[in-house]
Amino acid sequence: MNQRISQMARVRLCSLLCGLLLSASVAWADETCNSPYMSGLIKGQEDYIHVWTLGEPGLGDGSDKLVTIDVNPASSTYGKVIASVSVGGRGEAHHMGFTDDRKYLWAGGLDDSKIYIFDVGTNPGKPRLVRTIANLSAKSGFVGPHTFYALPGRMLIGNLSNSADKGGVTGLALYNNKGRFISKYDMPTATVGGVKGDGYGYDIAINPAKNVMLTSSFSGWNNYMRSLGEVVADPEAMKHFGSTMVAWNLKSMKPTQVLNVPGAPLEIRWALGPGQNWAVTAAALTSKIWLIKQDSQGAWAAKEVGTIGDPAKIPLPVDISISADGKGLWVNTFMDGMTHYFDLTDPEHPKETYQKHTGRQINMVSQSWDGKRVYITSSLLSKWDKAGADNEQVLRGYRWDGKELTSAFEVDFTKEKLGRPHHMKFTAKPSGQLAYADTAR
Amino acid sequence: MSRLHAAAAIAGAICASAAALSAIDPGAAVAPRMEFSPPRAGSYVLQKIQPIADATLLDPAGRPTRLSAATTGRITLLTFFYTYCADPLGCPFAYNTLTEVRRGVVEDARLAKRVRFLSVSLDPTTDTPEAIGRYQEMVKRESGMEWDVLTARSVRVLLPVLDDFGQDVSVERSPDGTPRRTLHHMLKMFLIDRAGMVREIYTLAYLQPEVILNDIRTLYLEERGKG
Repeated sequence: MNQRISQMARVRLCSLLCGLLLSASVAWADETCNSPYMSGLIKGQEDYIHVWTLGEPGLGDGSDKLVTIDVNPASSTYGKVIASVSVGGRGEAHHMGFTDDRKYLWAGGLDDSKIYIFDVGTNPGKPRLVRTIANLSAKSGFVGPHTFYALPGRMLIGNLSNSADKGGVTGLALYNNKGRFISKYDMPTATVGGVKGDGYGYDIAINPAKNVMLTSSFSGWNNYMRSLGEVVADPEAMKHFGSTMVAWNLKSMKPTQVLNVPGAPLEIRWALGPGQNWAVTAAALTSKIWLIKQDSQGAWAAKEVGTIGDPAKIPLPVDISISADGKGLWVNTFMDGMTHYFDLTDPEHPKETYQKHTGRQINMVSQSWDGKRVYITSSLLSKWDKAGADNEQVLRGYRWDGKELTSAFEVDFTKEKLGRPHHMKFTAKPSGQLAYADTAR
Repeated sequence: MSRLHAAAAIAGAICASAAALSAIDPGAAVAPRMEFSPPRAGSYVLQKIQPIADATLLDPAGRPTRLSAATTGRITLLTFFYTYCADPLGCPFAYNTLTEVRRGVVEDARLAKRVRFLSVSLDPTTDTPEAIGRYQEMVKRESGMEWDVLTARSVRVLLPVLDDFGQDVSVERSPDGTPRRTLHHMLKMFLIDRAGMVREIYTLAYLQPEVILNDIRTLYLEERGKG
């Protein structure tokens, strides 16, 4: 027995040493925006990009679908669509997120509030629709499932609206990985930490080391399912956009602070390397970069630190992607079709160091962990996309050498009769390992 | 000194082999940073994540044991492991965490009688009842609290249990495609209340002994409040 204990002690020492060897490369960031609870980050070459695609009436089957594209340059089908799983309806496909084990991809519809669960673990090159959840509204009173954020064994869903008046007051819904509803959490409308909440919701981002969760705010169904031109021309509608972020105690799931961040703060990205612990967001309507960090007293504070393009022209920054080391930030502005790169070495003073026109309308931007590959898609919302020749619907892949984005491939979603490409997620082929079930005798 | 060098070499080899496996990174083998004080025990409610699905496993004497019986009646901290596991991201890391949690449990007389650790083997082929018996003897001698160990009759019996818990396991493949003995698993710990409901799941990003102990106290206070 003493020998056994001695063996365990050696194993623990081995574990400690390995930890020390690996600690220099620890960086919680995104690839581009995954939950820190998710396993299996792809730090090398991704094999596939899955694109949650809005159906377009009269184009192909007209349904929302998960489109899979081969993005490994070594593959014979590089840059080609290799799979497409239609969900048999059109519900405003928008965002998606992996479960904590990266085996399943949850994808939501902003209009019909349905949630689709795709198996991308068994064969990532051939996803399968395995479950549909249709009880979000009945269980929570919320509609417009937007952000899918993995917690261990659970999926936390940030919503945009509610079923009562379809305005922007909403909340978070929690399901377990089997698709069973667990609980809901209202976005605060009361004053918390001296600032009144607006109750609006959008993105979720967690810093486990600080036990803090940040949420941001956009707008309700009444606005996002109406044409952008009408919304902008309606002064009353323009009053119904979020202007807050909320800091939550993650363990207790209680809001601890409401922060004033005017202009619809959208995606939130943490920099979680040693000594970082700050987050950034971009406010869509004001075209500003905001920094969220703790002050000397430990309270979270939001500070405007940068400008994206010319705010007077409302370029509409719609997505951001932070680099793995937290020192760079891609920003896509929808209206002018520009992809911007900001040096975030000093997050208090982001500097724009590069920009490129990447499309007539562009929306999501995702980068690989090593930052060498950048992908963009074109669609924002079915009612907000541009019309006519400006309504190009594409996924474009680029190589990034630190100085220039170079075109690698393009998939024309209209020509392929697929629809409007929105959110992207990466997968890689399993290598070097077998599924346990395949070895069972 | 030579032993230290040997351990370092083994650690390096393990790290290198992990890095060479694929583009997918398993994560960091370091303790998660904890830069906060957990909320007061009992001031928050742990979510009811999922009930335990029952199965028949084996105890160290080889007797059939219902998983439902092994996870009810006490607050249970369940971990999947295998006795020869040396994966720095797996069992040794979990063992270190359990050791720290155990210290807090044993020091609190209210908890020591109401909490159990349960280790369920991922490898019933190697971890026979006799093998887990030796393991249980070791951990029980050190623990001063209930620490049960179970295995399964076969991998086929175990697979539905793993699936129910969402415990991912894969088998390392040799260059010729045949399975090796090494199992890879995503480290998870499951906190289960007296009624057999999973109330928290801890993974590498969230494996903070102080938080786990605080959650155990929260469950204790919740159950005491029910009378």
